[in-house]
Amino acid sequence: MAWEYSEKTKELFMNAVQGKPGTHLGEIDDPDGLGEHGSIACGDALRFTFRVEKDATDPTKDVIVEARYLTFGCTSAIASSEALCSIIEAGKFTPIGALKIQNEDIVNFLEGLPRQKIHCSVMGAEALEAAVFNWAQKRQVDLEKLGVELPALDNQDGRVVCKCFTATEPYLKAKIKELELKTIPEITNAIKAGGACMSCHHIPGGLQDLLNEVWDPQAADQKERPVQAIDQSKPAGAAALSPYQFAKKVEQIIDEYIRPLLQRDGGDIEIVDIKDRLVYAQLKGACAGCAGAAMTLSRGVEQQLKDLVDDQIKVISV
Amino acid sequence: MGSDSIYADNNATTAVAPEVVEAIQPFLTAEYFNPSSMYEASRSTSDAIKQSRRTVASFLNAGSSAQILFTSCATESNNTAIYGVAKANPKRRHIITTAVEHPAVLEVCKDLQRSGYEVDFLPVDSQGQLDMRDFVRVLRPDTLLVSVMHANNETGVVFPIAELSRVTKSTDPSIVFHTDATQSAGKLPIDLKGDFLHVDLLSFSGHKMHAPKGVGALFIRRGTPCRPLMIGGHQEDGRRAGTENVAFIVGLARACELAEQHRPDEQRVQELRDRLQEQLTSAIPYLEVNGIEAERLPNTLNVACHYIEGEGILYQLSSEGICASSGSACTSGSLEPSHVLTAMDVPFTARHGSIRFSLSRYTTEAEVDRIAEVLPTVVSSLRKLSPYWDQAAQAPRASTVGRI
Repeated sequence: MAWEYSEKTKELFMNAVQGKPGTHLGEIDDPDGLGEHGSIACGDALRFTFRVEKDATDPTKDVIVEARYLTFGCTSAIASSEALCSIIEAGKFTPIGALKIQNEDIVNFLEGLPRQKIHCSVMGAEALEAAVFNWAQKRQVDLEKLGVELPALDNQDGRVVCKCFTATEPYLKAKIKELELKTIPEITNAIKAGGACMSCHHIPGGLQDLLNEVWDPQAADQKERPVQAIDQSKPAGAAALSPYQFAKKVEQIIDEYIRPLLQRDGGDIEIVDIKDRLVYAQLKGACAGCAGAAMTLSRGVEQQLKDLVDDQIKVISV
Repeated sequence: MGSDSIYADNNATTAVAPEVVEAIQPFLTAEYFNPSSMYEASRSTSDAIKQSRRTVASFLNAGSSAQILFTSCATESNNTAIYGVAKANPKRRHIITTAVEHPAVLEVCKDLQRSGYEVDFLPVDSQGQLDMRDFVRVLRPDTLLVSVMHANNETGVVFPIAELSRVTKSTDPSIVFHTDATQSAGKLPIDLKGDFLHVDLLSFSGHKMHAPKGVGALFIRRGTPCRPLMIGGHQEDGRRAGTENVAFIVGLARACELAEQHRPDEQRVQELRDRLQEQLTSAIPYLEVNGIEAERLPNTLNVACHYIEGEGILYQLSSEGICASSGSACTSGSLEPSHVLTAMDVPFTARHGSIRFSLSRYTTEAEVDRIAEVLPTVVSSLRKLSPYWDQAAQAPRASTVGRI
């Protein structure tokens, strides 16, 4: 699948990697706000910092004058970070005002993003939230009192639904509502949840259940739970010796008669497995590379076991 | 390809050889007859298929050409092999495959799993190699099929098919052994009367060996119970319905002849690969060569760059005219990094930063050197942006790795 990025996305990415002037790559020393989102294991991560011009009397009137990012991620993740910083600097936002920037603003700035890459823009909005929270702590601004909600920070508590991307139930429900996500693919495109192992899609309490709970509360109760039945009936061996006794006997003969001979030549033998009358063995040490290894096993070892344990034995070299 | 671009993605597909194009031409123009028709004119097409079948059989040293089935691609060959064997012997319900197969095998096995089959997916070690002992332990009295690829498409790691098939057949001759040789055909010798004597089914396709897309083959050893997948007409001895793609079958056969003729070139391809590997590992810090200790295809180099993401690398390589591929999540349909690198447990700091270069006999030394010149700059430009990289120290940034 070839790249379906807008010219704007490509341009921002190339400018950033080439370190052109005017790009926002980097990190502010001693920043007024710092926020991170994502992780290297998940495939993308953003470290976002900003500096404000402090208002002498009222910290809520601080204005963001500089924004920087470091991003681990794909072309669109890097372009989204660049977009976020540009929007913030151009808008002369207060930190609380900056929270109005939504992922759609980033998508619009980029002149569109492929459907599967929407999560890159969401990452930017979430790192911004975290940074504003960090600024509020430093400047002793009580966001709760001001009625400012930070849904992304709710992700830290609650039952984990998507283990691959550590998305919790309260977070998922908030995002489903906020971004109006109606299907599992929409959830995955927006916030990645459910995009890796996919085991959380239809399990009880999984993504489909959350979607039902948010959009169709009646249907949520009537969902059937899938039942898995595993039937493990193995045929039993019909020999005089039990499989355990048989294996013991084989090992005993090998210890007594075969191993000492091999060890004398600097080698050894490992019994990898025994199935019915098949003995899987591996020659070790000096015997392993020996041209006669297969012969040793099939003739020497097999014959000995046939004579002393069971004449149906077959030795297979592994 | 334009003269200024460098094609290093031959495990994805290959350029069609000029000799193949030439061989195909007549069957796209004058020789259009249906090989199943009765009139004299159709003899040219039915003879062409007959001859192609012999060529492919000889390429694999398969003996009788009746054992070669032409298909539309390796995916069809794999589907035919696996579903066909399952259909032919419904009493056995256990399949052994590996965790790193191509989706054309992996997804088919998972599909059978959903309809009640038990499937063991063999793990690989950090070098991408299988452990024979793991294999032996999962063999069962009701094992139907063992399906293990000859060489892995992402890492190029070569699996011990001769050993695996021998152990399978010594355990129980009724277990069917299938190998997907899509990546190895034309790159490694395949001898179905020698090393691969115990292989029952072998799939490969044309477009990985300089034939066009849209043609593949399946070797079915005589006596192997395997039912057809495509049902309809009597073509291919009733084993694969559908009018034969004469032109491309001829192209596949020609590509097999060429691969045979160019066998000595593989040495040169390997030298180029090793040269690239050497240049990249010495120029780029924190670079892993995936599968370096295992036996690998001579043309494949899979490297993983720590602390950056593969898509951004590919994009920049592409703007320099270099075509390669990545196992990163952002380049696949899923958000998960490559299942192969995950199975190998490649360090999580590098799993998203893998790049695969796969060469061919058309690759030149100058092209390899150009890749070696460009990649270090690209990697460095992305690391500069990465929150996990300390640009001043040219080393990972201890404070962020493992925290965000």
